Amino acid sequence: MENVSRIPHDLSNTGWPEFILWLLNRRIRFTVKGSSMFPILKPGDQVLIDPSAFRRRSPNVGEIVVALHPGGEALKIIKRVAKVHPDGQLDLQGENLFETTDYRAVEPGKILGKVTSIFSAHED
Amino acid sequence: MLTKITRSIARIIPTETVSAHCDGPCGVYDPASARIAGEAVLSMTKKMLALDPGAHDHATQNTYSRFIAIKEEQAQLAKDELLILWTDYFKPVHLEKYPDLHTTFWNAAKLCSATKVNVSLEDAEALMDAIQKIHTIFWETKGREVDYYTAA
Repeated sequence: MENVSRIPHDLSNTGWPEFILWLLNRRIRFTVKGSSMFPILKPGDQVLIDPSAFRRRSPNVGEIVVALHPGGEALKIIKRVAKVHPDGQLDLQGENLFETTDYRAVEPGKILGKVTSIFSAHED
Repeated sequence: MLTKITRSIARIIPTETVSAHCDGPCGVYDPASARIAGEAVLSMTKKMLALDPGAHDHATQNTYSRFIAIKEEQAQLAKDELLILWTDYFKPVHLEKYPDLHTTFWNAAKLCSATKVNVSLEDAEALMDAIQKIHTIFWETKGREVDYYTAA
């Protein structure tokens, strides 16, 4: 699997355009639980996702996504796309390679959206 | 200004959570499963070696057969548990810190097979040593100090 830790991240704080899109219901806000996306995302951070990001294209390697858990759909997971298979299936991986579980061959239909920005960093 | 607004919203309006979890709920890993199976292999090996190989009565033959069956089953279980740890839990990044990780698991898996093929106290004890080594590496990668112990 590709070593995703080498991919530079571009997750910035929510700016006005993103904030307005959230007000218009074009973004969904989530709170991160767990530390597999550390150091980019810490537990308690809130993020915005674009649920329509992958309507017209497939996710790219390096993008951070929210997906339905392959083993139990009640759970939503936040991971980075590590690999896109020729048949469109995706391998997802956490950022913190000591703390993550890989999800291999997740169907594209399980991806709920692309993480676009950090809405609010958790206050320690 | 926007940061203040988003921070206030984050504090006041609850959201759904997304899991950036480590090992749950996909896999709960613990070398203890392999250790328990390995201990059963060691125990069965000792019990087999303690039986009189010259005894051919039905009761002894039956006991011997049961020991063989349990040893076979538990050795396979130990192997399965080790392979799950090796292939599912350990990641390339762990190899940087533990360059002999693959050799350690390969040898441990081979010892599982050896304990099936032979009635060897040496092999069974070597398997337990290998499992103890894996226990140490595993918990080091988790950053936790977990004492190794055996049930027997």
